[in-house]
Amino acid sequence: MYFFDPHVHMISRVTDDYERMARMGCVGVSEPAFWAGFDRGSVDGFRDYFRQLTEFEPTRAGWSGVQHYAWLCINAKEAENVELSREVIAMIPEFLDKPGVLGIGEIGLNKNTPNECTIFREHVELAMRTNELILIHTPHLDDKYKGSRMIIDMLLEDHRVDPGRVLIDHVEEHTVGLAREEGFWCAMTLYPVTKCTPSRAADIIEMYGDERIMVNSAGDWGPSNPTAVPDFIMELRRRGQSESKIKKIVYDNPIEFFSGSERFEFTPPDVFRENAPTGVDAG
Amino acid sequence: MESVQNATEVFDQVYLDIRAGLLVLAASLDRVDRSEGAEVISDDVRRERIQQGLEILSGPGLNRAEQIQVLFSDPYRSGWNTADANETSDSPGDDA
Repeated sequence: MYFFDPHVHMISRVTDDYERMARMGCVGVSEPAFWAGFDRGSVDGFRDYFRQLTEFEPTRAGWSGVQHYAWLCINAKEAENVELSREVIAMIPEFLDKPGVLGIGEIGLNKNTPNECTIFREHVELAMRTNELILIHTPHLDDKYKGSRMIIDMLLEDHRVDPGRVLIDHVEEHTVGLAREEGFWCAMTLYPVTKCTPSRAADIIEMYGDERIMVNSAGDWGPSNPTAVPDFIMELRRRGQSESKIKKIVYDNPIEFFSGSERFEFTPPDVFRENAPTGVDAG
Repeated sequence: MESVQNATEVFDQVYLDIRAGLLVLAASLDRVDRSEGAEVISDDVRRERIQQGLEILSGPGLNRAEQIQVLFSDPYRSGWNTADANETSDSPGDDA
């Protein structure tokens, strides 16, 4: 079955991961900007990062026949540096006309602080001014419920925000209803320890339905599994769910949401692979 | 997307997982309790939450996972983003 991984940090993964994902049916990935494991020191550091996300990663993904899309922002973990955050937000428009850029993300909260709220609102302001889709990161563990509610409160403050153009990510049992009640899209992240397991994600789908929802691996530099979406597919098959219903969650829904961006150009997988470029040696 | 399996099929599928999960839980609590200074843990708020979680598991309901999630969540105060609240709170959304 073909699938999208709508949230995966491929910059942290090796080319073999693209290859393994492709073998399992992955035809597209979307990669939000995120925290690199350390706080970056300058706006030029982000400029280089955005170049890598929008220029090299699509090329590298293409070697395996995978189509790559990107989201741009400064992550909430770095929002305590308000001055740098504002420089990055001012620089983002340089990249908004690049092919495959889907919008602003993953923005959100980390520790639910006043500075994080300030920078979140300024990202939303940029997205509204430039008519971009928004991809939202919600906090982990004990912070998640409060942070998710705060994020939704801030989004609802701005009457320009169309919930149908916002994806709230990392939802779990206690936050999925909050997102869906207000009409937002949402996504579940399949992580080895925190966030969702494939079986819990399948439970949530059975309880809340398959509209405006998707699953991702959020594969990154930490413990994570870039082939978690196929694990979710197998879980639904074990439960006897039909192929068409599974495809809706892992393929149709991401394409429907991403189509809200005018820069989302998706080539049917068989056509794309016939024309995919070959790779080069990295070393 | 509703479940297409009946309860017996589901239970057959998850029984060993539940059994294994209970053993992990039991062995983990035993490990804590047989370690030096175990009595201190009885006053740890995290241990208290785990006890409350066990009570949720033994109770009725179709949303035990959601209840456990809420149990382990920071409190939220609606209206945190109004002008009045912003004047007095260093920790937005916190009702502590």
